[in-house]
Amino acid sequence: MPLAFALSPFIVLGVGALLLMLAESFAKQRAGLALGATIIFLATAACSLGLWWFGVDHIEGLEALSPWLVIDRFSLFFFALLCLGGALASLLAGGYLPEHNLDRGEFYALLLFSTFGAMMLAASGDLLTLFLGLETMSIGAYALTAFRRASPRSAEGALKYFLLGSFAAALMLYGFALLYGATGHTDLAGIASSIAQLAAHTPNPDAPVIAAAARAPMILLALVLVLASLAFKVSAVPFHMWTPDAYEGAPTPATTFMAVVVKGGAFAMLMRLLLTAFHDPQSASWSSGWPPALAMISVLTMTVANLIAGRQESVKRMLAYSSIAHAGYLLVGVVASIRSDDGAGSVLFYLLTYTASTAGAFGALILCGSKGAEAVSYEDLAGIGRRHPAAALPFALFLLSLAGVPPTAGFFGKWFVFRASMDAGLHWLTVLAFLNSVLGAYYYLRVLVFMYMREPAAGAPVATPMRSGYVTAALIASAVLVLILGLAPGKSLDIALAAASELGHS
Amino acid sequence: MIPTEHYVALSAILFAIGGVGFLVRRNVISALMSIEIMLNAVNIALVAFNRAQPIAHTGQMFSFFLIAAEAAEVAVGLAIVISLFRIRRTVRTDDADLLKN
Repeated sequence: MPLAFALSPFIVLGVGALLLMLAESFAKQRAGLALGATIIFLATAACSLGLWWFGVDHIEGLEALSPWLVIDRFSLFFFALLCLGGALASLLAGGYLPEHNLDRGEFYALLLFSTFGAMMLAASGDLLTLFLGLETMSIGAYALTAFRRASPRSAEGALKYFLLGSFAAALMLYGFALLYGATGHTDLAGIASSIAQLAAHTPNPDAPVIAAAARAPMILLALVLVLASLAFKVSAVPFHMWTPDAYEGAPTPATTFMAVVVKGGAFAMLMRLLLTAFHDPQSASWSSGWPPALAMISVLTMTVANLIAGRQESVKRMLAYSSIAHAGYLLVGVVASIRSDDGAGSVLFYLLTYTASTAGAFGALILCGSKGAEAVSYEDLAGIGRRHPAAALPFALFLLSLAGVPPTAGFFGKWFVFRASMDAGLHWLTVLAFLNSVLGAYYYLRVLVFMYMREPAAGAPVATPMRSGYVTAALIASAVLVLILGLAPGKSLDIALAAASELGHS
Repeated sequence: MIPTEHYVALSAILFAIGGVGFLVRRNVISALMSIEIMLNAVNIALVAFNRAQPIAHTGQMFSFFLIAAEAAEVAVGLAIVISLFRIRRTVRTDDADLLKN
């Protein structure tokens, strides 16, 4: 029983997804499916929060799961975060799919199964479960991207996503194989201790076949391969090429899901791998080699994404580049976490603010476009602030939060990440990240200018907002989150710090 | 007995062939096959490294999981290729160029 309690988030989500799939094939009408998926997501999140409140330390028999699944506060935080993202995405889908004649129930089952994979990623303490979680998450995301079957753009975006995604998975797997050969372990803690032994020149009894001299280069090569594929998965420059295409081609709720849940799962994996397996406890410094590389990637990611985002004509594509830029800010926090105790916690808090603001921004974009005419370009949004203030106001709030304007959630997300990187002594990185967030404000404010200060050109098709209780509910939920996190961030920051403090000690 | 280094060298060569094939070929089916070659290189490496552990079978078990998961991934990939082919009548990545900056 206690073990089933510890696994309850997985059980609720998995069984719920199967039941939803059954219900979809027998149900006469699809209207309740979005609500059902949302309830399953929220129930899973409630289970995780219940486990957190009960205290995972009190549960006996958790060792039976290790090293494959690690149920600690870090995992539980991510369970709740990913389920929040999934719930918002399924609410948006409940309004979007019927409006655009895509109302097929498998969308919700795919959302649930893909989130299951993301949760597995967050909880994995072994390369095997890490790989299985990654595949479960990615396969669902590929199918979601291709969901608009009649649209050539959807198929093209899905093809690019799939090809580059499986190439990245192959790179990562070869890195895993090399790690296994050099250390004799597939569990992250075992890999870490084996690397420490190698650094201290003590013989490792687990890998006698490989000569000791060959092990260090193998680990280095494995680290390069794993870093490259992690950069693919979190869509960091120069491995970001698939992101704008897949985000633009996918139906907007699927885009929301990819920007929020898939990215969150990828960051959980990145932190588990780098901060557990490659975190050298003997010398908490640059010795393990990846922080400078990751710092370069993060600077490139922020700068390139912000420069290209300003030149987009499509708001959806601009938001795709904005999500790449946010991956850059998040990577700053990951780099800082090697020297600062607050680094990892600030990343988790940033992910929370990013989830609420991004899901809200895509939701507002969905709301602005009605049947047959999705609002995608800046011109489509011209003058909507005067004609439909109820649709424009939440959009403005979420864009300000993404830009990092106080008192919204995005401001404190950036503030804590930048403060952690200053604490870590990364002054130049902090300055570059700050300059980038100023640069990023340009294209968010451009949307506001179009919404409030422009009128549509004469004869241009005028977008009318759709009406949907589901989308409204999602917007209200994320607006409340954005405001709470922006006005009183203290409590949730403490939770994020507590969650991150367990990383690397398990 | 063939030394383990030979297996590792074979897997490295296969991985390089697959990687170059993926980057060079413009046909989606060829790209998929290149990825499969890379994954088989991973399988060979995992099984070869497992020889260091005569009792534990971690590497072999890993490669079984890999075979199963990749079969599922390729099934989804081929479905995407077919849906693109139905609309555009092409399987060349050069022709998939609707989405641009």
